[in-house]
Amino acid sequence: MSSLTARSSSTRQAGTPQATRRRHPRVRSAPYLFLAPALVLFVVFMLIPIVYAIWLSFQAYHLEGGGILGHRVQVFSGFENYVSVFSNPELAAGFGRLGIYGLIAVPLTLGLALLFALLLDVPAVRAARFSRIAIFIPYAVPGVVAALLWGFMYLPGTSPFSYITEALGFGTIGFLDNPGLFGSLANIAIWGGVGFNMIIIYTSLRGIPSEIYEAARLDGANEVQIALRIKVPLAVPALVLTAIFSLIGTLQLYGEPTTLKPMTNAISQSWVPLMMIYRDAFLTDNLPTAAALSVVLALGTVIVSAIVLRIANRRNSGGMS
Amino acid sequence: MRSKIIASIATVAVAGLALAGCSSSGADSGASSDKPVTLTFWSWAPGSQKIVAEWNKTHPNIHVKYTDAGGGNDSSAKLLTASRAGNAPDLAAVEYTTLPSMIVADVPLDITEYVKDVTDNFTSGTWDQTTFDGHVYGIPQDVGPMAFPYRSDKLQALNIPVPKTWEDFDKAGVAIHTAEPGTSLASLPADQFGFYAGVATQAGGEWWSVKNGKWTVGIADDASLKVADFFEKMSKDGAITTDPLLTPEWNKQVNEGTMLSWPSALWAPGVIQGVAPSTAGKWTMAPLPQWKAGDAAVAYQGGSAVIVTKGSKHPKEAAEFDKWMNASDTGAKLLLNVANAYPATIFGQKEAKSSKPPALMPQQTDYYDVAAKISADTIPVTWGPDFNFAQSTFTDALNKAIANGTPWRDAFIATQNAVVKDMKKAGYKVTNK
Repeated sequence: MSSLTARSSSTRQAGTPQATRRRHPRVRSAPYLFLAPALVLFVVFMLIPIVYAIWLSFQAYHLEGGGILGHRVQVFSGFENYVSVFSNPELAAGFGRLGIYGLIAVPLTLGLALLFALLLDVPAVRAARFSRIAIFIPYAVPGVVAALLWGFMYLPGTSPFSYITEALGFGTIGFLDNPGLFGSLANIAIWGGVGFNMIIIYTSLRGIPSEIYEAARLDGANEVQIALRIKVPLAVPALVLTAIFSLIGTLQLYGEPTTLKPMTNAISQSWVPLMMIYRDAFLTDNLPTAAALSVVLALGTVIVSAIVLRIANRRNSGGMS
Repeated sequence: MRSKIIASIATVAVAGLALAGCSSSGADSGASSDKPVTLTFWSWAPGSQKIVAEWNKTHPNIHVKYTDAGGGNDSSAKLLTASRAGNAPDLAAVEYTTLPSMIVADVPLDITEYVKDVTDNFTSGTWDQTTFDGHVYGIPQDVGPMAFPYRSDKLQALNIPVPKTWEDFDKAGVAIHTAEPGTSLASLPADQFGFYAGVATQAGGEWWSVKNGKWTVGIADDASLKVADFFEKMSKDGAITTDPLLTPEWNKQVNEGTMLSWPSALWAPGVIQGVAPSTAGKWTMAPLPQWKAGDAAVAYQGGSAVIVTKGSKHPKEAAEFDKWMNASDTGAKLLLNVANAYPATIFGQKEAKSSKPPALMPQQTDYYDVAAKISADTIPVTWGPDFNFAQSTFTDALNKAIANGTPWRDAFIATQNAVVKDMKKAGYKVTNK
């Protein structure tokens, strides 16, 4: 209230509104007020759960009390959970499987996204809008639905592909057995992810000034040369962004293998790290190890993202501004 | 981009707040006894809603609100989480297998005091499933003595006798596999922990037992390892397959008549009817094959009890509903006819004899006589406090063994070692068998 009166009086006295606004205390707090809702939500729904998870990761359930069964009580256990996480060979195996999956899924998703974006960006392209939407639509299909849909196409009894190969006398295709499983899972991610990544790359291509293309054409470059020598280097920031998204997405692989799990024996309860976390938290009722594993996975994700960013930046700063 | 991410997190968070607001308004309080109380009840058994409606009609002072919480692992996880968060329902269905882990996690209330008057309504074998160290933690609702539903039409056409022993079962499996290569007698995948535990129990194994406060784990005892060898050989000979059950693939095989049986328990007809209604009339229920000809005892696979949770504000009223639903004659009739379950009470099982056979086998007029004979000789099973851990370890280990062609017994031994280690770490006194 007092600030309001101060403001009106100062306006009258000085007569230069710009000068008073700069001095005003209420205006200075405005950014914080605007930030407040986001900050509160961030603290309540991100920071507190993260701190709680870290705290939980140093706890353990131990048995207490008489009777046959006793009761489990939560006690401080130091680094016990972290020791058991790192000494569990299944975790390394899980990351190994994640690696194989990522090696298939990430390059193919990005490669196809770049290819489609470049093709759509060619001036002579026809039905561009239709193609763009057609490639993008799978991204709108929820992950679980996509996995179920593909699951039906993979199961020997319902698969149209296996139906054809069987009719030709080659037997069924082992989509859901090792090693075909990796390709099958990657395929679901590629199918769903290409459209999204393509839109990001395509948008960055549309942002390139057309004078550059004119100059290239005057120099005698054809469309392929323009694509490879001009468009791709200029779209590198978008490619880095999509690469990081894809990497994080890979580390968070969960929905697809979990959805396909009931259909095959090849996917174990600890097939990827997130499935292991789910198992510990909700099947075997061991929240502390689940928390420890979550912390490890989160730190790993941050480190991998930082490494990718650093490599990309170094490469970027060499060629371009 | 970061701002976008934060913005979307904020949106989700706000939605979460709104949802939380909605759900908290549903909670009720009021501990006074003369005011009508409202109880919440979680289950997954089909028809539970109708049984609850019946109760509400006749009991104006105790209103029960039913929620279908989904079956199996999901519901036990949900119950544990809700219980820790302090908003567990007053009553919940719990499978016998996970009841010990629930007790350890402090979910169910000791209801010994409330249920003294209904103990005699159950056989001691059934009652033992919910009694630990003299304390009762739930009232048995349905039981699943192991049984053998099979395609009588196909076995007859192939001229294969109904297997009475597992030896016969093996021969039948091989004969079917030879006669029709695309057809299997049964699929018994690694995730059927309950099945393997059941047949090992039938063979004299004891996967968990407890004496004087000390646990013994016998997942790799001699009887169980013999069972492992036997089923491994059958799998290698093609007598059984090990593909997962209840997948679109398995359902298709059941529908087209290339999956000829499901060694499981008395609850199976309802499940098969659900996935392959067109095969009704072609199935018959038989006792589970035995390890020794002439034996009759079988273990339990599945079945559940209804617990009163520790957090309940009205334990007395909750126990009253529990008794009405699961221990009374009225409840048994409803369970039998509305929920199509095989009731746990002696009265309910007697009552079953005079009812019509399940829809899957309308031609088998002696169905409930067979069922009564099967359930007359059951072996009580003790499940360990880390059943879910054992199940998940066993499934992963056995699947690996099947995929790599290594001995199944190694998977049993690996599970045994992991379970003992897990229990020791949790603070139990454990010995290997």
